[in-house]
Amino acid sequence: MELFAQGLGHVLTLATFFAMLAGTVLGVMVGVLPGLGSVIGITMVLPFTYSMDQIPALALMLGIYCGSVYGGSITAIAINTPGTPQAAATALDGFPMAQRGEADLAIGWATAASTIGGLFSVAVLILAAPQLAAFSLNFTAIEFFALGVFALICIANVSRGAMAKGLLTGAIGLFLATVGADHVTGDMRFTFGSFEMSAGISLIPAIVGVFALSEVFTRVADNHKPKPQVVHNVGFRLPPLAEWKPRLGTLLKSCMIGSFVGALPGTGATTSAFISYSEARRSSRFRENFGKGEPSGIIAAESANNAVTGSAMVPTLALGIPGDPVTAVMLGTFIVHGLTPGPQLFLHHLDLVYAIFAILVVVNIMMFFCGALGAQLFTRALRIPEPLLMTMVVVIAIVGAYGVRGNPLDLVIAFLGGVGGFLLRRGGFPLAPLVIGMVLSETIENSLRQGLLLTRGSFLAFFERPIALGLFLLTATMVLWPILRWLKERHRASRENPQ
Amino acid sequence: MKTVLTTLAALVAAVGTGLSAHAADFPAKPVTIIVPFAAGGGTDITTRTLAEPMAAALGGEIVVKNTAGAGGTIGAAETARARPDGYTVGMMPVGPMTTQPHLRELPYNPDSFDYICLAYTAPSSLVVRKDSPFEDLQDMIAYAKEHPGELNYGVQAVGSIPHVAGLGLAEATGAEFTFIPYKGSAPTFKAMLDGSVDMFVAHISFLTQNGDQVRSLAMFSSERVDGAEDLPTSGDQGVPMDFPIWGGIVAPKGIPDEARAALESACEEGIHSDAFTERMKTLRQPVAFMGSEEFEAFVRSEFDKNEKLLVGAGLGK
Repeated sequence: MELFAQGLGHVLTLATFFAMLAGTVLGVMVGVLPGLGSVIGITMVLPFTYSMDQIPALALMLGIYCGSVYGGSITAIAINTPGTPQAAATALDGFPMAQRGEADLAIGWATAASTIGGLFSVAVLILAAPQLAAFSLNFTAIEFFALGVFALICIANVSRGAMAKGLLTGAIGLFLATVGADHVTGDMRFTFGSFEMSAGISLIPAIVGVFALSEVFTRVADNHKPKPQVVHNVGFRLPPLAEWKPRLGTLLKSCMIGSFVGALPGTGATTSAFISYSEARRSSRFRENFGKGEPSGIIAAESANNAVTGSAMVPTLALGIPGDPVTAVMLGTFIVHGLTPGPQLFLHHLDLVYAIFAILVVVNIMMFFCGALGAQLFTRALRIPEPLLMTMVVVIAIVGAYGVRGNPLDLVIAFLGGVGGFLLRRGGFPLAPLVIGMVLSETIENSLRQGLLLTRGSFLAFFERPIALGLFLLTATMVLWPILRWLKERHRASRENPQ
Repeated sequence: MKTVLTTLAALVAAVGTGLSAHAADFPAKPVTIIVPFAAGGGTDITTRTLAEPMAAALGGEIVVKNTAGAGGTIGAAETARARPDGYTVGMMPVGPMTTQPHLRELPYNPDSFDYICLAYTAPSSLVVRKDSPFEDLQDMIAYAKEHPGELNYGVQAVGSIPHVAGLGLAEATGAEFTFIPYKGSAPTFKAMLDGSVDMFVAHISFLTQNGDQVRSLAMFSSERVDGAEDLPTSGDQGVPMDFPIWGGIVAPKGIPDEARAALESACEEGIHSDAFTERMKTLRQPVAFMGSEEFEAFVRSEFDKNEKLLVGAGLGK
């Protein structure tokens, strides 16, 4: 506690304060804009950080990181386009809520849940960084494969009501991610001899196309239909405490899922948000309302993706292993500033470690106020005449799709994604499984093949590892869950009516 | 006599002004350096650090553009097919220049470029966990020969320099390893810490940054490394190998000589600037430079060396 107070002392200087504020505001902004995300935000400020002092430089980057993971939710809620892949799960219940005119309330839920998730994971980081880091080393390729397979269940859970269609879009997502170089052999797959295609279909242009452009196409196509007159509330509304109470279980569970997934290097906020959403949809007492604008869905997604931010620092700081591209860039900055992440950091630079903790706490609180103020602006966007709003979405989406890799092919991918997404929507196919498939495809395939190399080709050896076995069993239980529940209900029914 | 001297002086001055006016024709607009990897990575940071002093030396502006994808080959191809006017160049590392073209059909090869300068080169090192049972290279080789294929050798990407170095080590010693490809340095490092792989080849700055978790069995360089004189090279241990991790500026084939010369001298000045050398020191990277001709010869020899190893391992196209 004393160390934390010291850390806070380091942080509450004018320079650091402004760095945190600027970082958080910028982070929320890049998060809101589809296509721009955490990585682009951090690389934008990278040149500035070289000339800054160590702590303000870290403050700036951590602000962007946390702000951007939250910011994506605003666009997901307002226009059904996740601003970042991390917020794809938020759109599932956030957008239906906004359609009812309650965008202000939806953003309130998302902002509060993000802040709580972020603070929860900072607490995890403070209390258990070295232990969690050591635990994460139990996850080899084999365990990542088991975790990836477990996460696939999310596809089924978000597709309820359109199961066959959901599984199909999930499979398309899994397939799309295999285009490009085969990572284990280096061979090219499904590129049809085109050199440009060898870079593969990257997630962000695909998401921008499938969500943003297809939303525009759909609205243009529906233009002749009479629209329900919805009065869009403007501003920011926090949900009352009584609404929180029945959802505390979901909140806590989602924070834990996010913190756990975040601590494993290589699995990020997108995966954790979907796992958490899908678990909430399975177990929440409001599960019947999911997909129709249920706050628990927003809570699950947003608290889990922000709970990744703190715990993703666990392997980064304690082992020197960045968990995702964002922490990789941050790690580079640490090194430029003469810091060497790894076990020694906690021995020799404890003051700095605590300064990082303090920055994370302050940044998460700032994020709340940024959201509250920003919502005044963003909710007004919903009152902009639709043709203008949609034109803006197209421009932003195209800039975002190109900006990631500077590859013109990404524009084609975004456009085709838009057409494909439009057709899928017309056919009543859920879009979220596509993202889940694309995100998990690489983890599952690579870790399976790395695992088979490690076991010299034996599948059986996968089941000899306790954590992997546990995850496989959990997966099996989840798959059988509806049957178990059906059996239980039949059993109860037969007991109540014993004729 | 005096008139002659004055005339001569005037002539020299005129030629001098003429030359400098001519030199000032380039650059007339900003020069773009394409980095074939994502922003924030090692190549990107080095390029951005160099861009500023190099622009100052050039007397113009330099824009760094990241074109990532497919192991750097997308950015390399973009450089090769850019307009050859000197305003688009690329910072091309060893992989897309000398290993990727052997793995598959690409729309470029070493003949597609004009060579400006080598901007950085650093030795690689065979690293193991700190608590590894192997004391030195011979110790590990002896074990690998007794237990063929038992040791796992992590690689950051198929056909990357660390992979090629491992193939070279296997070829030179007759030892057998199981190569396991991960995606990038961080997952490979993680795999070594969790016990999945026994060793991998890393950039020297990785070794110094993670000195409390890893140690070097051998430096893959022809001579002992400045600042790390205590670390034996593979040659010291009977297996001479040299696998530097380098990158340099190339331009599309056929740029004007004037632009090439201006870029080459700006590159040299930039590399020897205080801003660049100091940043390299904090990143623990040696400072190195080669001019146009030397760099081209170097790329071609690396290209042939890596072809031999990749084709020998059955990875060639």
